[in-house]
Order: sequence, then C-alpha cells, then structure tokens
Amino acid sequence: MRLAFNEDQTTFSTFLEQMLASDVCGFRPAPEWERLEYGDAIDVQLAENGFFDAAAEETLGPVMAAEMIFKIAQLPVAVECAASALLRPNFASKLPRPIAVIEAEPHHPIRFLPMARSVIWLSQSKVRTAILKDGDVQKADTLFAYPMGVLNMAALTWDDVDTDAAKALDLWRIGVAAELAGALKGGLNSVLEHVKERHQFGRPLGSFQAVQHRLAQGVIEIDSARWLILKAAQSQDPADAALALAHTQNMATRIGYDLHQFMGAMGLTLEHPLHRWTYRARLLRSALGGASSAFGHYADARWGPA
Amino acid sequence: MDFTWSREDTEFRSRVRGVLSRELPTNWPTLARHGPGSRQQTEFCLEFCPKLAEAGLLVPHWPREWGGAERPVWEHFILGEEMWAAGEPRGAQYMNVNWIGPVLMQFGSDAQKQRYIPQMAAGKAIWCQGFSEPNAGSDLASLKTRADREGDEYVINGQKIWTSYAGMADQCFLLARVSGAGEGKSAIAIFIVPMTTPGIEVRSIPSLIGHGDIHEVFFTDVHIPVSARLGEVGQGWKIISAALANERVGIPRYQLATIILDEMVGLLKTRGQFGDPVIRLRAAQAAASCEAARILVYHVVDAKSRGQILGADANVARLAVIGADHAVSDFGMDFLADCYSGAGHVSFMSHHERAIVTGIAAGAAEIQLNIVAQRYLNLPREA
Ligand SMILES: Cc1cc2nc3c(=O)[nH]c(=O)nc-3n(C[C@H](O)[C@H](O)[C@H](O)COP(=O)(O)OP(=O)(O)OC[C@H]3O[C@@H](n4cnc5c(N)ncnc54)[C@H](O)[C@@H]3O)c2cc1C
Repeated sequence: MRLAFNEDQTTFSTFLEQMLASDVCGFRPAPEWERLEYGDAIDVQLAENGFFDAAAEETLGPVMAAEMIFKIAQLPVAVECAASALLRPNFASKLPRPIAVIEAEPHHPIRFLPMARSVIWLSQSKVRTAILKDGDVQKADTLFAYPMGVLNMAALTWDDVDTDAAKALDLWRIGVAAELAGALKGGLNSVLEHVKERHQFGRPLGSFQAVQHRLAQGVIEIDSARWLILKAAQSQDPADAALALAHTQNMATRIGYDLHQFMGAMGLTLEHPLHRWTYRARLLRSALGGASSAFGHYADARWGPA
Repeated sequence: MDFTWSREDTEFRSRVRGVLSRELPTNWPTLARHGPGSRQQTEFCLEFCPKLAEAGLLVPHWPREWGGAERPVWEHFILGEEMWAAGEPRGAQYMNVNWIGPVLMQFGSDAQKQRYIPQMAAGKAIWCQGFSEPNAGSDLASLKTRADREGDEYVINGQKIWTSYAGMADQCFLLARVSGAGEGKSAIAIFIVPMTTPGIEVRSIPSLIGHGDIHEVFFTDVHIPVSARLGEVGQGWKIISAALANERVGIPRYQLATIILDEMVGLLKTRGQFGDPVIRLRAAQAAASCEAARILVYHVVDAKSRGQILGADANVARLAVIGADHAVSDFGMDFLADCYSGAGHVSFMSHHERAIVTGIAAGAAEIQLNIVAQRYLNLPREA
C-alpha cells in the first residue's frame, strides 16, 4: 500500500499541471455563445508530448492515465482524453485520435464525434474500430457542453479488435468515472472561488454553514471517487471498475444541483464557465446505463447472482 | 502508487486473525452484544489483552522502551481494523494503546510514566476519558469542572457526562479548568485521577448502545496531589489536540460494516430475496460507502506511514466512515427488520448499536463538516 506517486509519476503530474495552467486551457466565451469549446491547442500539445501514451509506460501506467483524465476534465475546455489515454494504449495504439466511443446505441449523438478521427465501438461481446473520413459525421446541436455528433453508420468500415470486450468495458467505466469526477471537481473549484469572493448579508457566501456543509460533503465524495478510480485503474478488476463508476455517478446529480445553487444567477449564464462542467457531468452521469446500472454490475461482480 | 498489500502486511493480518480465532471464546458474539463498556466486556478484555500483549500484538507500534517493537504504522492500523472487525475485544484498552499511552510517553513525568505505562503495555489498565460535560459537548473548551490549588493538592469539583468505561475504570484522564489561571483554553489542564479517590461518584446512563457504556461522573471535593497533573497548566488543550491527532481517522468502522453487509447479503440470498434489483442496488450503495471510507482512511494512514502530516484529510475520512456505518446499519433495518427482535441476529444488533453512535461520539459529524469546510476547502469562518 503506497498511495503516493512514484518519481516518474510525480514528474509527469507536475509537467501536466504546468501545461494545463496555460491560457489556452482557460475559459473564454465561445463564438456565437456556443455552450462549449474544444481545447484544440492543448489537445495538440498533450499529443505531441506523448501524454496519451502514459498507460503503456511501465513506471506511469493506467493509474497515471486515470489521473490525467481526471485533471483534464477539470478544464473549462473539453478535450478528448478518456478513450485516448485508457483504451487506445491497451488495444488500439495506432488509432488516430481524437477518438469517439460508442458505448450504447450507435445512432444516438456521441460526444467528441465532430473532431474525432476514429471511433471505438464497445459492446458486451466485441470491440470494433473505424477510421473516420470527411462526411462520416454530422454535427449535432446539444444542451451538453461536449461537441456532439451523429455517425453515418452506412459509410463506415469496421475492424474487429482482438481484445477482451468485457475488459475494454471495464476500462471504459474507469475512464468515464475519471472524466465525470474531474468535471465535478472543476465545477467545485470554480464555485469555491466564487463563494469566497461574493458577499451577501455583509459576509462571504462561503461563511454560511448551509453552504459550507454541502460543499464539504461534495468534496468528500469527489475525493473518494478519485481514489476509487485510481485503485480501479491499477487493479482493472471488474468490481473495482463498476464501483468507481457507480460511486461517481451516484453523487453527480446532487453535487451538480448544489454547485448551481451556490453560483446563483451567474451560474445560469454563458458568461460564466460553471455550465461547462455541470453539463458535461449531466451527460456522463447517464453513461453506460447510469449509477443504478453500475451498482448492478458491482453487485454482480461482488456477490454473484441472486 | 500501489493499492495492493505487501506480503508482510498480509502475513501480519493473518497472524492477527489467527490469534483472534484462537483466543476469542465461542460465546464471544453474545458477550460482545453487551457493548464495549459493559462489565462483561471489560472483564473479558482484562483476560484477553494480556494474551495479546504476550503475543506481541497489544502495543507493537510503541517504542521498545515501553514494551513495544516499533512496528510500522500500517501494522498498527491493520491491528485496529481486525480488532474492530472482531467486535473490539480490547474494550476500553484500545484507547490506552492508541493515544493515552503515547500521550503519557510524550508529556508525562517520569513518575507518571513508570506508574501507568507498564500496566497498559501488560493489558491490565482501564482508563476513561473525562472530557464532555453537561454544558460542554461540541464546544468542549467551555468546560467548567474546576481544579482549585490548595498547597500540594488540587481539589476537583464538577461533573462529566457520557464518560465511556467510567464504571470499571481505574483512572480518569480528566480535563478541568484551573482556578485563577485565566480564561478559555489556556486555563485547561489534564489530571490523572484514580477512580477510587473519595468524592467521585459514577452513575451509569441507560442507553441505546447497551448497559454500562456511558456514565455521569460527579466530582465533589476530590483531592489529588499536584503530581497528578499531566503537563503544565496552559498545556492541557495542546496536549489533547496532539493526543487526538494520533487518533485522527478514528475507528476503522468500515471493516466491521463490510463484514456485516456480506452477512446480510448472504442471509437475503438464503431467503431468496437477493434477486430484487432494489435490494441489490441498496446493498451495492452501502458497499460503495464502505469502500469510499476505506480508501480515504488509507490515504491518511499511508501519509502518516511516510511521515507526512496531513491537515483536515482525516476529517474528510471520518465523515465518510460515518456514512458507511450508517449505510450498512440502515440497509439491515430496511430489508432484514425481523433480525432486530426476538432471538434475532446477534451480530446485526451489535453492529447497529455500534453504528448509531457514529457521527456523535468522538465529535459530531456537523463539527467535522465545519472543519472540512474551513480547513480543507479554506472557506471563511462564520461571521
Ligand atoms: C457512545 C458515546 C460515548 C462517548 N464517550 C465519551 C467519553 O468517553 N468521554 C467524553 O468526554 N465524551 C464522550 N462522549 C461525548 C461526545 O464526545 C459528545 O457527545 C460529542 O462531542 C457531542 O457533544 P454533545 O453530545 O453534547 O452534543 P452537542 O454539542 O449538544 O451537539 C448536538 C448536535 O448539535 C449540532 N451541533 C453542535 N455544534 C454545532 C456547530 N458548531 N455547527 C453545527 N452543528 C452543531 C450537531 O449536530 C450535534 O450532534 C460520548 C458520546 C457517545 C454518544
């Protein structure tokens, strides 16, 4: 048991944090008041510096990939990371990225498709990939703060991947959980800043106990989620993966509500970034069937059938 | 980063389990039902702890000078998990092992150390903690019990309440306010008071957690020598803060809760009820609370094992532990209510009686939330 990063992981994490502190990762209102911005610049920098390959490196490993997904999801800009950092190194290392993932119904809108250069299709029985060409994707309007698109399925050629489909789904559970936990953390950080600054009734909002206790409860959940996610990334055990996702999705609704409450009207504008995190969280909390489905998987893995 | 146990830790855990399965009598579950402060359990712990001491499992983390073996932080912690999972057969003595002994080592006079520590290391001492008062609970610093200096003595007057183990204790680790030493925390001092001193009266408070567990303790003109004071007058508050820092993550309650949850699921399966998706969901949620608590606690223990001092991370962990214990207890009562009446299910009842105090004993959950908000999230204090 050693719950601290090794030397390489520390270096990786420090370097990553420096990159993510750059201006290109910050919030600026999107043109036409779109609800999202894709972080093209940081995406390229991360790729060029090999960050997405951490999982395959022995001294970094999947733990670091999960940590990276968690950190990147805290940015106001959206960056495709979960598939690139956890799935790609595992069974599709040549796949061009950004990568979109079909985790359920292939005809539904899927996040990151508008900029994706390839798709991974996960199912219970097999894993397939396809390279995307111009015209394969139609951009979709969305309430969520992700670039969303719909696939032209007829135009695609699928390759079967020789990998364990169940394990790929487990990895994806961990990736989604990390992205969701990161989105919540990003939102929480932004709300913390706000409630320390904003005064009403002659005192900072953050000095009210009703606000304090709910934010404290939120951070307990988010921190525990992060640890459960890192543990699952290391063990890649089906129970750990289901647990990490279930725990994270389970808290997302309440935390999302609290974050918006404490931001007041400002949090309902497109001039403030809060919606970027909460609307990514809103999508991810339903991913892979949502919390009850993930709890069901956990119950199956831990206790077996009835 | 590594979430797996080392071979040494795994071996140590099985050694502890081996000793427990050898030394706990077959009627232990029934005995443990009486609650950790009961006469039954206290008498038992006075037989059991010397055996643990002999096996080197009572104070392995203590310095050699005081009978320990300077074993690593994780071993001490694993020991605590296994003891709690077994129903805490050390009874009141877990406090000696975890914090009273170490506090005496750090702040006690030579005479105090010689007099009390060897008894603790031998597993033969019962102490109680006289902190809370009728009007000083969460706001402990407002305590009123007085210590008046008269020559070579202090005379103690006042009342403590909720004092666990007081009925059977040899010594009380008492907080009192020294008259004439000013106001607030700086006037608080610690006294080691033998419970047989004239003027002490103990009344047991009937409670939901078993008889003989919590007490009122009345001090009327209790004379004790000045040498019974632990540390200096102005130091009392600092010492207990340091003392309780040893205990910061508190009891590893998720360990027993997890075992009980598995037992509940086993029973529901036998009854053909575990196919119900709602029951499965609720069981999984309770398990998630336990695992969340466990990993947050491990984070704090791990930091300690690397010599790192964390801030309010321990309070974060404590809150998660509170949630876990209640989640399991509530799951049982929601889906196995019949087990809590009649012949019932002894281990579920025992667990429930331990779980309901979680979030009140050793500091209310709301106080922990205040600490997390102010020291972990750095939110401004209330105006
Ligand atoms: C089983 C058990 C064993 C115990 N053993 C001992 C012992 O051995 N020795 C000892 O000294 N004490 C012991 N205690 C006492 C324990 O430490 C106190 O119960 C605890 O500190 C809370 O104090 P209180 O009960 O007076 O509650 P109060 O201080 O009256 O608080 C009641 C409730 O009010 C709320 N509250 C209080 N302050 C705040 C605040 N600032 N912000 C928000 N909410 C607040 C909380 O919800 C709290 O639970 C024991 C208690 C129990 C239940």
